[in-house]
Amino acid sequence: MSHPPTQAPAAEVSPFDAPARWPLALLAGSALVWLVLSSLLALVTAIQLHTPSFLADCSALTHGRAQALRETAFLYGWAGNAGVGLGLWILGRLGGHPLRALNWAVVGTVFWNLGLLAGMVGIATGSMTGFAGLQIPRAVQPVLVAAFCAMALPGVLAWAGRKREGTYAAQWYAAAALFLLPWFWTATQAVLLWSPLRGVVQTVAASWHTQSLVSLWLMPLALAAAYYIVPKQTGKLLPGYESAPLAFWTLIVCGGWSFGRHLIGGPVPAWIPTMAVVAQCLLLFHFLVVALNFRQVFAGGSLTLQYLRFGLVAYLLTGLLETITSFRGVGVHTQFTLLVPAMEQLTLQGALSMFLFGGLVYQFPRIIGRDWTLPTFVSGHGSLYMLGVVISVLSLGWAGLAQDALLNHSQTPFAEILAQLKMPLLLHTAGQFALLAGNVLLLVAFLRSAAASCCREEGAAALRPASSAS
Amino acid sequence: MKNRPLFLLGLFLAVLTSWAGFVLGSHGQLGSLTPFFDEADGQSHPARLPGLAARGQLVYADLGCAACHTQQVRRPGFGNDQARGWGERQSVARDYIFHAQPQLGASRLGPDLMNLAGRKPQAPSADDLHRLLYTGSAAHPAFPFLYETREIAGESSRHAVRLTGAAAPKAGSEVVATERAQTLVAYLLNVNSGFEYPEARPLPAKSPASPEAKK
Ligand code: HEC
Repeated sequence: MSHPPTQAPAAEVSPFDAPARWPLALLAGSALVWLVLSSLLALVTAIQLHTPSFLADCSALTHGRAQALRETAFLYGWAGNAGVGLGLWILGRLGGHPLRALNWAVVGTVFWNLGLLAGMVGIATGSMTGFAGLQIPRAVQPVLVAAFCAMALPGVLAWAGRKREGTYAAQWYAAAALFLLPWFWTATQAVLLWSPLRGVVQTVAASWHTQSLVSLWLMPLALAAAYYIVPKQTGKLLPGYESAPLAFWTLIVCGGWSFGRHLIGGPVPAWIPTMAVVAQCLLLFHFLVVALNFRQVFAGGSLTLQYLRFGLVAYLLTGLLETITSFRGVGVHTQFTLLVPAMEQLTLQGALSMFLFGGLVYQFPRIIGRDWTLPTFVSGHGSLYMLGVVISVLSLGWAGLAQDALLNHSQTPFAEILAQLKMPLLLHTAGQFALLAGNVLLLVAFLRSAAASCCREEGAAALRPASSAS
Repeated sequence: MKNRPLFLLGLFLAVLTSWAGFVLGSHGQLGSLTPFFDEADGQSHPARLPGLAARGQLVYADLGCAACHTQQVRRPGFGNDQARGWGERQSVARDYIFHAQPQLGASRLGPDLMNLAGRKPQAPSADDLHRLLYTGSAAHPAFPFLYETREIAGESSRHAVRLTGAAAPKAGSEVVATERAQTLVAYLLNVNSGFEYPEARPLPAKSPASPEAKK
């Protein structure tokens, strides 16, 4: 295995990135639009938790649907677009050729986003599938898989046609994510939508899918970004890099097994929750190696490293908490309470999003060839987002602990339980508000930079009309 | 990782084993469950939902009631599901074989609904449910879009919701349940899995040598 590259960031757009500039900017821009939309919906669902009458008149935003819309916009819209953009970029750079087949990526991105939009309209009007994490209406799902294949094509080509013999960890994670999603999503559709299996086997298949979505698709893309960027930003080799392949394969092999921690005591075969314990214990190894590899993020001070540092801490905490709650003695208490969404936020907003932000904040200036036009907005986003994550995870955790005591150990009526949770739920709303505000700042910063870069390009083209390259 | 086809094959096989193990494995174990014919009452259990209720189950799914309600009772010793009166036994896979989309749910902001129609001492009536869904409460969202307010023309509708107090419509009009509300309530009046299958006899809470075994 060769060493991670440590070249200095390019001041100008490298010849590698020049042709990929607008396709990648399209992915990043769509990601940020979905991000803002999903945080707006998250605010709505947060308010509905303490004030159930909020927007109750609006059938499209009744709590169950708002929840499904939020989750879809976040997973497939924000994390999907951002992760694929980073994955393609990394595979192109490390593959040693400019990305090929970019037209496919553009067409794929357009259809992916249109498909998602259609899916969102479908959910709002009552055709969601009813499986958490997979609510997109069934007619849209095959379109999304096809669009994804087109989006991923340049990445897979870059990986297969790479110049160097050796490969980097960033490449394994990115290539695996691009390759695996179409395959397991098709498998899930087959057994859930096209010839549905009977009864609770559907629940098993849907939970397996949701877990794989995070463990085999989104997290690998986020980790690819971290593996690519950390050595470049710290200027040092990754310590313990020789264990990285083992960490990779542990995640790929066991990542999908741990969904059973949500089904403890449920009407599914008893070995499913047991396998979750096994998987979580094996995954500790993955988390350990990741911690070792990224140790140096604690030294640096750039904004990118701050995001990655926060993400790393959240990721390790996630690993620890998921392991603890996969044991039955703990799981029966945390199950069905707000501790579950608290941990989910830690994973998705704390770890996944932070890695992706770190990636985007690093990537974007390098593909458009100029620094962020509004750096204060970007660092403002960083502070608000971190604050928001801390507040909402802690407040949900607090609510969840109180809920467990009232729900599982007393006969307190539900209306009273909710009344007692009012305080932490209000705090949670405040946290979601901070997340929304931060995300708006980042979107504005993105649009300003993109606009400035467009203008400059037009200006340059006007100055030298004869030259074709820009 | 240098060998490209081998790497992809490895990825493919890793996910294939996971999928086959979990999804096909549980299908193999549970896919052939049939209703249980009880000699004593001469009926098979679970019964299929009547048509109206079966459609209501889809309304339940598309409104996302599962965001706050589970439909799975855990065995004695797991939380206090029995003490809350949600069911005397744990839910088992056989309970769901006729559910088009099982809505197990993952959050209990509201009570479990697996045995709503069998609540002791008294299950909610259709009127109670319509009132809950139409007006909501301090803890419950309202679903007013499932109802129509209209002038009473001649006789009042069979599906009018009986409302009193602040929620009551003004004189001369009535609040009528739409078809979706009727099917949803028909479904809620039918969710009940009281029958005790041999595999669901509750284990005595005190000697859980291996409470997870034998399912
Ligand atoms: C925001 C969370 C939430 C959503 C969404 C929700 N519920 Fe509820 N539900 C509750 C709470 C909390 C209670 C307890 C209310 C109380 O005791 O006043 C409850 C109670 C109930 C009850 C009474 C249960 C009993 O044991 O008496 C029924 C029936 C019910 N809900 C049906 C539904 C249906 C049908 C939907 C979907 C259309 C739904 N709920 C959506 C939170 C929710």
